[in-house]
Amino acid sequence: MNPFRVAMAVARKDLRSEWRTRELVPALAQFIILALLIANFGFQINSDNTASIVPGVLWFALIFAGLVAFGRTFAAEREQASLEAMLMTPASPVAIFAGKAFAATVLLIACEAIMLPALALFFGTNIGFDTILAVFVATIGMAALGCLFAALVARVRARELMLPLLTLPLWIPFIIAGGMAVQTALGLPGSYDEAIGLLIDFDILFVVLTSLAARFVLDE
Amino acid sequence: MSVIVANGLTHWYGHDLALNSVDLVVDGGEHMAVLGDNGAGKTTLLRILATALRPTSGVLEMAGLNAFREKRRLRHYLGYVGHALGLYPALTTSENLEFFCDLQGVNRSRVDAALEAVGLRAEADRRAGALSRGMQQRLAIARAILHEPRLLILDEPDASLGADAADLLTAVMHGRTVVLATHDHALANRLCPRTLTLRHGRSHGTATRLHIVK
Repeated sequence: MNPFRVAMAVARKDLRSEWRTRELVPALAQFIILALLIANFGFQINSDNTASIVPGVLWFALIFAGLVAFGRTFAAEREQASLEAMLMTPASPVAIFAGKAFAATVLLIACEAIMLPALALFFGTNIGFDTILAVFVATIGMAALGCLFAALVARVRARELMLPLLTLPLWIPFIIAGGMAVQTALGLPGSYDEAIGLLIDFDILFVVLTSLAARFVLDE
Repeated sequence: MSVIVANGLTHWYGHDLALNSVDLVVDGGEHMAVLGDNGAGKTTLLRILATALRPTSGVLEMAGLNAFREKRRLRHYLGYVGHALGLYPALTTSENLEFFCDLQGVNRSRVDAALEAVGLRAEADRRAGALSRGMQQRLAIARAILHEPRLLILDEPDASLGADAADLLTAVMHGRTVVLATHDHALANRLCPRTLTLRHGRSHGTATRLHIVK
């Protein structure tokens, strides 16, 4: 059995379901806009502090949107008991996990496509290619970790509480490196290349680790 | 030749004993019904036989394979319909089955035959969420036979099926080894020559059709 075919089938199924129900992306987009609006009123923004405040606002909005997005990926499967149906097939649990993580990444990127222009609009800052690349690279590793813990907590009762408790500490490296990358992209001193390099290292590390762990998390 | 050989299957949910040392032998092509009141352990036994649940203790061999060590290989030969149907409501009937064809590693051309077998051909383009409960049950049965398994584990498959449940199940079960749980003794008697009765997680022996009639 081809694991790539399985992963693509799972991702296609998740994206098709989301396209038809429009359950997640519109709600997340609304949440992101509201978060940015509140931050816009909450901070005293001027041309001197924009570059230091905007990265913080960006990552805060992104991590909370990510928690909701990744939490839903497995919660919906558990609610309709379809995860068991998937796992009852001979398909590899790692391929199933990869497909779900890929679909969740695409959905979060769709939200980022709304968040970044909104950020530019509310905070009057230039969002260039460097910022987009940093957010995109961080999203990959964050999605791998978020989906793994979402799969893990989907079978416990207090999953809404457990998911942030488990995920946020391990997202800290992405926030640090991602924050550094966006700050330098917005003109603050620092090495952008070094920050992006760190993000890529974290991506590789966590994608490999979560792929190894996914089998045990989904299998039993 | 025995397709299912189970020895001492026991399962605890925390402090609750759901299944207490159940032994079971089912021969190839045989149809066996599992009977019992609510909470007797039928679903637990069937979930263990379907490799969806690992028992606390006991040994299970199916089709000559260790059911827990080689469960992924075993699932090529095994179809399961559980209590929860596990369908995707936003996908159409045929999309649900095509998705599971991809996961089973079988050709999508089998979808039409599976829909035909359960009488859902006309509903191929309807979303699963818009189907009646009986139709959803049929779709779950179609999914279980997509990969043409030799062994079927059916947990109350007659639920919501309607008047032609027995005819549909007879056609689906033909040529396969089947373990079926039901509350309907008449249906069990019609479909299965042998029954296993569970009470409080314990096996109260198997009986042939003749014994049930008596």
